Parts: sequence; structure tokens; C-alpha cells
Amino acid sequence: MDLFFGDYLLSLSFLFPFWFISIGKEAYNHEGYVDAAEKFRTKSGTEPDIDLATITDRMMVKKAVQDGNVEDAIEKVNDLNPEILDTNPQLFFHLQQQRLIELIRNGKVEEALEFAQEELAPRGEENQRFLEELERTVALLAFVDVANSPVSDLLDMSQRFKTASEVNAAILASQSHEKDPKLPSLLKILVLVQNQLDEKAIYPRIKDFSTQLLKNVVFDI
Amino acid sequence: MPTPAASNHSAGPEELIARLKSAHSPREAKLKALRDLKNRIIGNRTKKLVFLKLGAVPAVVGILSSAAAIVGRGGDGESLEFHESVLIQSAATLGSFACGLDAGVKAVLDAGAFPLLLSLISHSNEKISDASARTLRMIYQSKLPPKFDFLLEKNMGFLLSLLNTENENLTCLGASILSHSCQTPLEQQVLNEAGVLKRLVGLLGGSLTQKDGCLEALAAIIKNNQEIAKRFMEPRNGAELNTVVELIKDKNPRTRLLACTCIVSLRNSLVPCFHESGLRNRLILVLCELMDDPSQVGDEAPFVLSDLTSQKEDMQKIAAEASVIEKLCEQLNKGSLTPKRLEGVFLALADLCSKLECSRDKVLNSKVLTSLIQALSHESAAVRRASASLLKNMARSVKNLSAGHFMNESVVLPLVQLLLDPCTSVQIAALGAISNIVVDFNPQKPLFIKCGGVKHLVHLSQSMDSNIRINALWALKNLLFHVDNKCKEEILLELSSSSMASLISDPDPSVQEQALALIRNLVDGTLNSIEYVFGEDCPLLHAIGRQLRHSSSTEVLTQAMYTMSNIASGNEHHKEAIMAQLFPHEGKDMENILIKHLRSVDSQLRIAAAWTITNLTFPGCPGTSGRVAELRNANVVSELKNMVNDPCLDARLRIRTALGQLMMFIDA
Repeated sequence: MDLFFGDYLLSLSFLFPFWFISIGKEAYNHEGYVDAAEKFRTKSGTEPDIDLATITDRMMVKKAVQDGNVEDAIEKVNDLNPEILDTNPQLFFHLQQQRLIELIRNGKVEEALEFAQEELAPRGEENQRFLEELERTVALLAFVDVANSPVSDLLDMSQRFKTASEVNAAILASQSHEKDPKLPSLLKILVLVQNQLDEKAIYPRIKDFSTQLLKNVVFDI
Repeated sequence: MPTPAASNHSAGPEELIARLKSAHSPREAKLKALRDLKNRIIGNRTKKLVFLKLGAVPAVVGILSSAAAIVGRGGDGESLEFHESVLIQSAATLGSFACGLDAGVKAVLDAGAFPLLLSLISHSNEKISDASARTLRMIYQSKLPPKFDFLLEKNMGFLLSLLNTENENLTCLGASILSHSCQTPLEQQVLNEAGVLKRLVGLLGGSLTQKDGCLEALAAIIKNNQEIAKRFMEPRNGAELNTVVELIKDKNPRTRLLACTCIVSLRNSLVPCFHESGLRNRLILVLCELMDDPSQVGDEAPFVLSDLTSQKEDMQKIAAEASVIEKLCEQLNKGSLTPKRLEGVFLALADLCSKLECSRDKVLNSKVLTSLIQALSHESAAVRRASASLLKNMARSVKNLSAGHFMNESVVLPLVQLLLDPCTSVQIAALGAISNIVVDFNPQKPLFIKCGGVKHLVHLSQSMDSNIRINALWALKNLLFHVDNKCKEEILLELSSSSMASLISDPDPSVQEQALALIRNLVDGTLNSIEYVFGEDCPLLHAIGRQLRHSSSTEVLTQAMYTMSNIASGNEHHKEAIMAQLFPHEGKDMENILIKHLRSVDSQLRIAAAWTITNLTFPGCPGTSGRVAELRNANVVSELKNMVNDPCLDARLRIRTALGQLMMFIDA
């Protein structure tokens, strides 16, 4: 029990105002919320570390993938930094994979077959690691009723978001930003610890994260 | 968003290139084609190769150069922005061709883009400068670009200007140039004096690419340079070392690997404060964990581990305790490893087994012998070499040799095949393994002979490459050690005394040494063996005698003397022949070689000389008294008397025995 309380206090201590400012800003930047980052800057009086315009570029790429316009996303990433896809074979493979998925989703079977042969098969040849995932993706072409096949998860929107997230992280890494912002992880720990403590003790529980934490920020600086 | 103007969308590669090359394409179409080409090749190695074959690179370089000229003239009245775009896109395209592809780098260099790109990195438009700098960095990451001469003042100035900017693309270019071209100690010194090391450490706080680039450059400057390593570790520079040490905990696997490489470079420069065991253990653990990485990082980690532990027993012990051997063997047993990874694992295991018996046991117990044997016939020469080296080191285990783990067909046959390998270094590694395996303590070594090994060894002993001659003779020497007569006869059928005589007189002293040692082992045994040395005109005996008289190498002299001693253990005829060699009748004023060698500073040589005397004057032989008299006349007896208190215990024993035997005849 002591262990949980300790964890709880520890995670709270991470949310002290000054710490919070830098990680909060970071999280907002990471997800590309330009407006929020701007507001945050005005409210807390800190200078942004990065050029807000680059967030827009990155946001456009992410949006393109989320909308299923993978070719467009690839062009934009290459304009931003041609090295990203050239030095990240896994990411490149996943983007090509997403392109194939979109072609299949739109019923363009012949184009999909051609694409698989022309663009995806070489990825498997270049790098054996991708063979398994490649097989799964190509299997989409084999099923008549794709939605009920074992590979139907590839058609979910979640697959698009997964790919989008991967591109986002790669762009950030190339711009020398932390890959994982700390705030979401800390909030997750806080929630987990509070859930554990609920069963064991009475303690000052934080119910509303947004107001509770913002309250600390406004009054304690 | 569909691409505008379906013009490029479904164009095949040939068509695209034609559009780029055509003088008639409208310039907007050309720019679109260029962008399309760029987007088709980035990340796509297969496409890069296709376009390379179609001559894409010279076409793009052409576009780059005319765009640069127009931009240089201010646009020629047209849109400057347009031409700058062309410049950026063509530079980026070339950069992609050069990225991780040697054929691409070669094409870019051959098309003459290098000087142009160099001039563009100082362009005022940052995007142009960035694209060109990136491309140059890709080129410098290969082995192909022209070597950068750091000793030229203006070059050094250029390099420093690159490192001192705030622009990451330029600093990373500087770092790549360093990693590629810094090779000699003089260059390392000049760079260190210019403050480059300090600047590189300062840049370690930057982005991932910068961090990695600077770590690589640091490793290149520190590598094998004790002086620089010492200065890097000095107290006031302690902070710099700490910065690098911290990076072995970095999130990014490649950064961790490069930080380890740097520290290993420092380590290998034998800097004393490295005995801090915490750091040594951490290095081992990090490298071990990096081996799990599926990318190139995992391929390279075992090589760094090998560098860290090679020849260093203390590191090998630490690694053994950290279960590194089990980890490496696990990787092997997982199977389907790339050639690079296989090579790394075998090399690392070979180093770890080089001195410690417990490590050899662990490898044998991990049941990797099958993979090892398979690897001996691998298509990659590097893998064959590495696996043979591992086998050689494992066969240093006396216990396992005697248990017969290695003297079986599955091991010997592929090894014998390697003697015919097209690659010299593989042959040498195989010879090393065979040398150890044939030191079989079981008196029967027929298996190796049956597998046709002797013929190949004898053939290799005649090789043009002295390294091969040395190692082949070594293997033959070990094969002959305490071998039974039947095997000896079979071996002697292949060896010719004239070729042995010329090997004893080989230009390379190391070859002479092995050849003499071979004969020493050969004549150790029955009288028939000794007879081999005598033939028509006794070429062998004369060759041995010549070395004894003229060689200046202690090792050669020792082997020659022991050979003489073994021959002298034979019959009367043999003993007289030795006497004739030691006391030739021509040139009475020639120095008495027996006395000369008795006076040698090397104890082994003194011992061998004493043995020879003992064998020559063995009681119960008819000519002994005559020989004793001759030795006495040559002042050998008085010399021995002077040596009864020889500082070396073994020598003292031999000398007193010889003297005692001689005195028996003299007093009688």
C-alpha cells in the first residue's frame, strides 16, 4: 500500500507548475495543436522553442495520412526532409502498405495488384523483416469478403492513425524533438495509480484533470 | 489529393527520363518530372537502381548545373524562385541517389556534381544550402568520395567553418567528412590541436543526426591514438568524457552503439583510468542488449564487442560472467541470420574463447557446433573466415581436443575444403584451425590424412604468400608431433626434402623457424625418421647447419639446435654427421658455434645446446670417447664448467647433466 501512495505522490510531484509548463507545451506541440500552443504561450508567458510553422507542415502530413491520401503525404514528407523516408525503411514500408490498403478499400483491385507487385514486393526483397507483414497485407487481395477476413483490421481507421502516428514521430525525431511527450504518460500513470489507490485508501483524489491542474498553474506561479 | 496533370502519373521510368532530358519539354513539365523522379526513388532502393541504369544521374546533374548557372546570374530575367526550386529538387534527387547506395554515389561523382555541390553549400538561400549539404553528406558516408586533406590550411579552415555554424546540415557534413577522411595519426593530431574534439563534444546536444554524426567523427579522431585518448580523459576534460559516457544510455539504439564505439576506442588506447569496473560492465551490458536490435545496429554490435574484448582477458572474463556467450549462441541457434550478423557473432565468440577455457566449454555446451560447421561452407568469405577463427580458438581447449570433439569428418572435411578457398585470409584462418585440431593427443591422426589434408598443406607450404607458408608449415609441424610411424610415412610421401631444404633457407625468418620446427618434430622418434634428414648429399642437414651458423634470429637458432639435438640421439652415423656440422674442417678460425650458442642470452638456446652435447656423448656408443675428446679440445668442457651456475634453473640442470656425462669419460 505504501508503494502505491508513494507512486501517487511521485506522479503528482511531476505536475508541479514549472515542470508542467515545459511538458505541457511539449505535448501540445507534439500533437500539432498550434492554437493551443499559442494560447499556452500567452497564458504562461513562455517562448516556444520551435518555429510554429513547422508544426503546420507536420500537421498537413499527418492529416493527409489520416484522410487516406498517402501519396500526397509522401510528397509532403519528402519536401520537408528527403532523408526521413530514405533512412527509415520501416516507415517507408508502412506508408506503401497504407497506399495498398487505400487502393483495395476503393475497390481498385487491378491497380492494387499492380502496386503490390511493383512497389511492395521489392520491400520484402530488400528487407526480410517485412515479409510477414507484407504477406498479411497482400492477403487482403485474396479475400472476397475482406471485412470478415482475418486481416480485416488492416482496413480499420485505426490502421491509418497508426501509420499517421509513425510518420509524425519520425518527423519530430528529425527535428530533434522528444519522440514521446511526457505529459500523456504521466497522466496515464496518475490515472492508474489513483485507480489502485481507490481500493486501498482515502486520499485527495483529482477528479477533473483539466481544471484541477490548470488551477495549480494559474495560482501557484 | 490526385497529382495534377496526369502527365507524370503513369509514365514509365524510360518516359520520365526522356522528359527530363528533352530540350523541348516546357520547363514546368521538367520540374514536375524532377519532383516525380525524386518522390519515386526516395526510400526505394529498387527504383534507384532502375533509374541509375537509365542514366538518370547525368541528366539530373545537367539540370542542376544549368539551374545553378541561371541562379548565379540572378535568374536571367525569369522567375528566380522557379530556378531555385529546380536547384533544390535536383540537389535533393541526387542526394537520394547517393543515400546508402554506392552505385548512386559513384554515378553522382562520375557526373561531376561534386565541385558544384560544394560551391552551393554557401548559398544564401538556406534550402539550397541544406539540400546540397545533405547530398554531400550522403556522399561522404560512403567509401567513394575523394579524400579530404586536413593538412591543407584552407581545407582545415573550411572544415572548421562547417563545424562552427549553427546550421545542423553543415555541422553534420563536417562530421561526415571527418569520419570518412581522418585516418593517420598526424591528421588526428592536427585536428585535435585545432580544437575539433571539443567542438564535436559540444555538438552532442543536438538532434539525432548530429549526435550520431559527431560520435562517429569522435571515434575516428580518437581511434588507436594513445596521446589524444589520454588528453581526452584528463581531469579537466572529464566533463567531455562524461558527455560521451552518458550517451550509452541514450534512447536511440544507434546512438548507444556509437557511444560504445567511442569509448572502446578510448579503451583500446590503454588509458589506465579505464579500470573503473562499473563502466566496463555497463559497456558489455549495453552491447549485449544492442545485439537484439533487428536493424543494422544489431549487426554491428558484435563487432564492437569483439573490439572491446579482443586480446583482453579481463574483458573476456567480465563478458563470460555477464552471460554474453550464451546470448551469442542463442542468436546462432535462432537461425536465418544475415551474413553480416553471422560474421559478427562468430568473431565475437572467437575473441571471447581466445583465452578462457570456461568460455570454450560454454560454446561447446550451447550446441552451436552444427551451425559452425555449416558456416564453414557459407557463400560469404567473411563468414567462412570468422567461423574458422572460432573453431581455431575453441580447439585451443586441450580437454575437448582429447575428447575428440573436433577430429571427426564433419569438421575436418569442410576445413580441408577451405584450404582451397579463393580467399587468402580464409585459407589462413582454416590453417589456424587445422593447426590446433591436429595436435591430437591420440597418437592416431589418420583421419586428417585420409581426408587428403596433407597434400593441400604441402602445396600451401609452397605458396607465394609468406603468411600462408608459415601457417601451412605450422599445421604440418603440429601434425607430425608424436605421430605414429605409419602416419609419418604417409606424410613423408608428400614432403620432398629439397622443398623442405629450401623452406629452411626461406627469405622470411618466421618461415625458417616453422620449417625447422617441423623437421624437429619429424626426426623425433625412431631411427627411420632421422634417416629422412639424410639423403643424397644430405641437403636438409646442410641447410640446418647453415642456419645454425648464419642466422641471427634466436627463434630460428633454437629450432635448429633442437633439431640437431634430436638427430644426435640417433646412431653413430647420425652423431658423427652432427659433429661434422658443428665442427666443420674448412675454416679453422671460424667461430665455434657450439660455444657461441652456449653463451646465448636466450635460455632456450642454451638448453638446446646442452641437450645436443648430452645426446652426442651418450655413454655406451662406440664413438663417444672420440667425440668427448673433440669437444674438450674445442674448449666446450671448460665453457660448460663456467656455466654450472646458470641463472636459468632448467639450463643449469641440462648443463650439469651434460657436464657430468662428459666428466665420466674424462676422469675414466
